[in-house]
Amino acid sequence: MSVLTALLKILIFPGFLFLSAYALALQFLDRKLYARLQSRQGPPWYQPVADFIKLIGKETLIPAQANQLMFRMLPAFCLAAMAVAFVYIPVWGRGAMFSFEGDMIVVLYFLAVPPLASFLAGWYSRSLFATVGATRTLTQMFAYEVPMFLALLAPTLLSGSWSVSGNMAFYATHPLLVLVNLPALVVTLIVSQCKLERTPFDAPEAETEIVSGPLVEYGGRYLAFFTFSKDCELVVVLSLFTAMFLPFSTGISGVDFLLYLVKTLAVMAVLCLLRATTARLRINQIVAFCWKYLAPTALLQIILNLVLREVFLI
Amino acid sequence: MDLIKKAIAWGSRKSPWVIHFNAGACNGCDIEVVDALTPRFDLERAGVIKQGSPRHADVLIVTGAVTLQVRDRLVQIYEQMPSPKFVIAVGACACSGGIFNGCYCVSGGVNTVIPVDAYVPGCAVRPETLIAAVTKLLDKVEAQTAAADGQLPPGPEAEPTPAPAAAAITDQDGGERHGK
Ligand code: SF4
Repeated sequence: MSVLTALLKILIFPGFLFLSAYALALQFLDRKLYARLQSRQGPPWYQPVADFIKLIGKETLIPAQANQLMFRMLPAFCLAAMAVAFVYIPVWGRGAMFSFEGDMIVVLYFLAVPPLASFLAGWYSRSLFATVGATRTLTQMFAYEVPMFLALLAPTLLSGSWSVSGNMAFYATHPLLVLVNLPALVVTLIVSQCKLERTPFDAPEAETEIVSGPLVEYGGRYLAFFTFSKDCELVVVLSLFTAMFLPFSTGISGVDFLLYLVKTLAVMAVLCLLRATTARLRINQIVAFCWKYLAPTALLQIILNLVLREVFLI
Repeated sequence: MDLIKKAIAWGSRKSPWVIHFNAGACNGCDIEVVDALTPRFDLERAGVIKQGSPRHADVLIVTGAVTLQVRDRLVQIYEQMPSPKFVIAVGACACSGGIFNGCYCVSGGVNTVIPVDAYVPGCAVRPETLIAAVTKLLDKVEAQTAAADGQLPPGPEAEPTPAPAAAAITDQDGGERHGK
């Protein structure tokens, strides 16, 4: 692959430009579906774009006591991490744009950047509400990281490949084995909600208690890029989820792309349903829930997969 | 340049994020403000989202005659908002002091403390009136933003126009009162 095509792929399709467009579209669909579930009309289709443009046009205020450099850089870090993680996830066809053995670990590490960035954003804002939100973000991260890693590891134990594309290729030849991973699928679904800090796991943002969490001091274009990178995080998590647990593909690139859209939208709908039908948990309840129920289930799944692999020598 | 300005004007028109501040209302108007934000009226159709942080908000909705206790906080919250920012005074109290006008502990209408862009009369206001006020204000905002030459919308005048009622209070016994 020449440098030019590689650049085109990374920057335009299926890379950054597609990621941005899809992130804004998903934000709209999420809000629209949420509104419909509450029997209202919901925002018009251009709402995410209007919000973004408006925030860009606003005055930039940085609190005097905040760390100026970190305050400005964190949204960029967050967005860049998401753009890089997206490179290793299959969108167009069965394989990702780039892949190597172990790229799943890289994606998981990049996925840890948004919560860390929002923790640092809250910490360096030096505001009371932001600090409370920041500590909650970090506490929540300790709650969901372990079940998430365990659950995402399960399918790779069967496929024997720690690459998202390799995993996809394996399950394309053994589609029935997907059923074995059902418990891990459920765990990851709940953990995704937790990772994305959506209700019922939105204790870090909890606008009725701590205003709006770590981003309380952010405004203008920095807020625009922070919220935008959170939307990108949603796309990356959904794409990773579908690639690991719903790895059905035909091998024809265009059809696979459509399949990808259908799968991510379906998972999105489930997450939105979860958001619309639950109320916020306290942070200690979140931690207890993740460690008491999700982590053991994921661990059982790992044992099951190890046994299966030994018995059937997959 | 022109296109960018138009785009930003369009964006501000289509996505007003509001923050609600009770500056000493009897809670009647606050109930109605919250009512206007419920699914029944579905203000998200117009892009309205209620924000908790003044840094995220564009429109400050103030209810109640501003009490002396809360006056400085109101100014602080107003100053924390990034411009372009707009203030809507909701209810008779916020417009002029209402039934609390002349009370020893209030400073009068909201315009005695911060510049106000729209007044919504009523005791308490109806949600429909509030929605009409928001849309009227936004139309004005869009026209202003698109017309201004490379400047942020002029928005409110620097010097708040004194409400007649507020002026009257100062006459009675100035000093502690802050009516202009
Ligand atoms: S205008 Fe009427 S309802 Fe509103 S705060 Fe004043 S007294 Fe209460």
